[in-house]
Amino acid sequence: MRHGRSAALAVAGALALTACGGSGGDDNSGAAASGKPRIKLVINGGLGDKSFFDSAYEGLKKAEKDLGYELKVVELGSDRTKWEPGFEDAAAADDYDILAAGTFEVTDYIGELAPQYPDKKFWLFDAPVDYTGKNGTCSNKCENVYSVTFKQNEGGYLAGFLAEKLVAGKSLKGAESLKKVGVMPGVKIPVIDDFVVGFKAGFKDAGGKNSDVLVQYVGGDKPFGDPAKGKEISTAMYGQGAALVWPVAGLSGLGTFESAVSAGRYTFGVDSDQYQTLTDQAQKNTVVTSILKNVGNALYKAAQDDKKDSLKYGAVDTVGLADDAVGYVNDDHFKELVPQKTRTALQQAADKVKSGSVTVPSAL
Amino acid sequence: MSSVLDVVLSSAFLAAVLRVATPYLLAAFGGLVAERAGISNIGLEGQMLSAACTGALVAGYSGSVTAGAVCGIAVAALLGLLLAALRLELGADAIIAGIGLNLLASGATAYTVFTFLDDKGGTSGLKSGTLPTVALPGIESIPVLGDVLSGQNTVTWLAFLAAPAVAWLFYRTRFGFHLRAVGEMPEAAASVGIAVRRVQYAGLALSGALAGLAGVFLSMGYVSFFVRDMTAGRGFIALAAVFLGGLRPWGVFLAALGFGAAEALAVQLGTLDVPPQLVSTIPYALTLVALAVYAWRRKRRGAGEVTAASM
Repeated sequence: MRHGRSAALAVAGALALTACGGSGGDDNSGAAASGKPRIKLVINGGLGDKSFFDSAYEGLKKAEKDLGYELKVVELGSDRTKWEPGFEDAAAADDYDILAAGTFEVTDYIGELAPQYPDKKFWLFDAPVDYTGKNGTCSNKCENVYSVTFKQNEGGYLAGFLAEKLVAGKSLKGAESLKKVGVMPGVKIPVIDDFVVGFKAGFKDAGGKNSDVLVQYVGGDKPFGDPAKGKEISTAMYGQGAALVWPVAGLSGLGTFESAVSAGRYTFGVDSDQYQTLTDQAQKNTVVTSILKNVGNALYKAAQDDKKDSLKYGAVDTVGLADDAVGYVNDDHFKELVPQKTRTALQQAADKVKSGSVTVPSAL
Repeated sequence: MSSVLDVVLSSAFLAAVLRVATPYLLAAFGGLVAERAGISNIGLEGQMLSAACTGALVAGYSGSVTAGAVCGIAVAALLGLLLAALRLELGADAIIAGIGLNLLASGATAYTVFTFLDDKGGTSGLKSGTLPTVALPGIESIPVLGDVLSGQNTVTWLAFLAAPAVAWLFYRTRFGFHLRAVGEMPEAAASVGIAVRRVQYAGLALSGALAGLAGVFLSMGYVSFFVRDMTAGRGFIALAAVFLGGLRPWGVFLAALGFGAAEALAVQLGTLDVPPQLVSTIPYALTLVALAVYAWRRKRRGAGEVTAASM
């Protein structure tokens, strides 16, 4: 019995090891053999999310191709207990010049590691490190860390503005009588709430009432990876009279597109152009537009600037609509569903945000 | 408050309860069968996940949802047999082997999908379809009841039929008697000539198959694709329902249905002005409360037995 228990433990342990060590790869290059700067993208999750991390990966892959970088990707998986050791291992290996990572959840790891490896560079996207160094991290004021954050509230603003114009103008076929719209964020954290706050502001500025915006978080064990729950929530929102639902919840959002088809209603995509990433034509047809958060573009730009030695380390770069880091998809399908008048109004709203004459509230 | 009442009494809510409860019910019956056979099936989560993945892939490539469902259930049943073999042949601890099985399923499904589709997220790029829904001519036109019952997935019906089926199996068949005897006291069962191991293997295969049906429902009923780790802890909630239900078929049925109702309620209430953190704790808080009640009742009953024996 005792023997069997330890044998099983060993098997379980070995499985866990293979699971997290799988993407480490064969690296014995102590120095850059090719002389190219080496980027190591460390993902606290996995590729294949069709939005956030995939976009970061695409941007860096483009930098590898166009700008002469070398790219290596490490996926740490969704088990949080493996993140901290994963980052430590990734930083300790001398096989990179730039370590790139994203989301607010890794800010402390980067803040710890950057002072330990002062001759390496760190890029952090979608969250800033604590540059003051007063809260236990960033003992060197993170002067080797470049952070870039996004004004997703501006994207949310345009989504809310467009949503209200569409329901007020009765432009959505089959949903003309409905006044409500829904937003389905993954979890209640500042960077996700930033989308919601922006959405509500835009909805109001376009003439809508806040009580017509239904908001429900996916939550639970896998807020960004539970499409069944995403579908249930979206179905409930359509049932409560939402003309369209905007999922801001990674793979959980895939459930929204399915429920939109059966309800005969509409959706907005998020982060990536989801009209392109979806394969089912009926689901594609529900996507009015996608609110883009171009993580990849921002990283590509960072790579460009770093080549020219003009990338600002030791500071946060905040990019939004004016930098084309946030925006919406303006394709033929969009033009088909949205009347000319609404498109012009939306463009004007976007211009106002860009010029700064409208300031969008933020949850950050 | 009246809006809460409106929600709870609406046909949309009741229909959602049946949908949400389906995977809980099936996985919980799977857990129950294994538990009564004397081997805890912690691997429910992994069996569901493997079935969900296999089902969507096979259905996508063969074009037949039936083939997908059958293969998914078969894979989950095999994993049940694997767990039984680890326990019975190698003497492994069932809990640890089950955890290993879950880890294996999580990694292997993601790897398989990546191998076939070059996609690390799931099979949403593959058209695999869903199992048919059941239309009920006649009942469809009855208000409320028609909306609730009609259009539900075949698997939802199977989940609800599973309760009487498992009860019948346990208490009315020879296999059920043997299964319970083996689970209570394998030595005694062996002494009267019951093939203990064979019964346990069969029980674990059945347990895996039921979990497999729950998994197939996720990827081929609820939605029409597989996403990695899409079971999202449902197997563990089902396991809680097994114990909460006092290891009896109808008790487990009520417990799993209760968890389904709690989650459906959280979904329906979410859009009202209730803090989302509070709403999403409903199913988990209910689980804890229910388990505490179960433990308390057992303790009291246990204390009663001791007193009775000492008298």
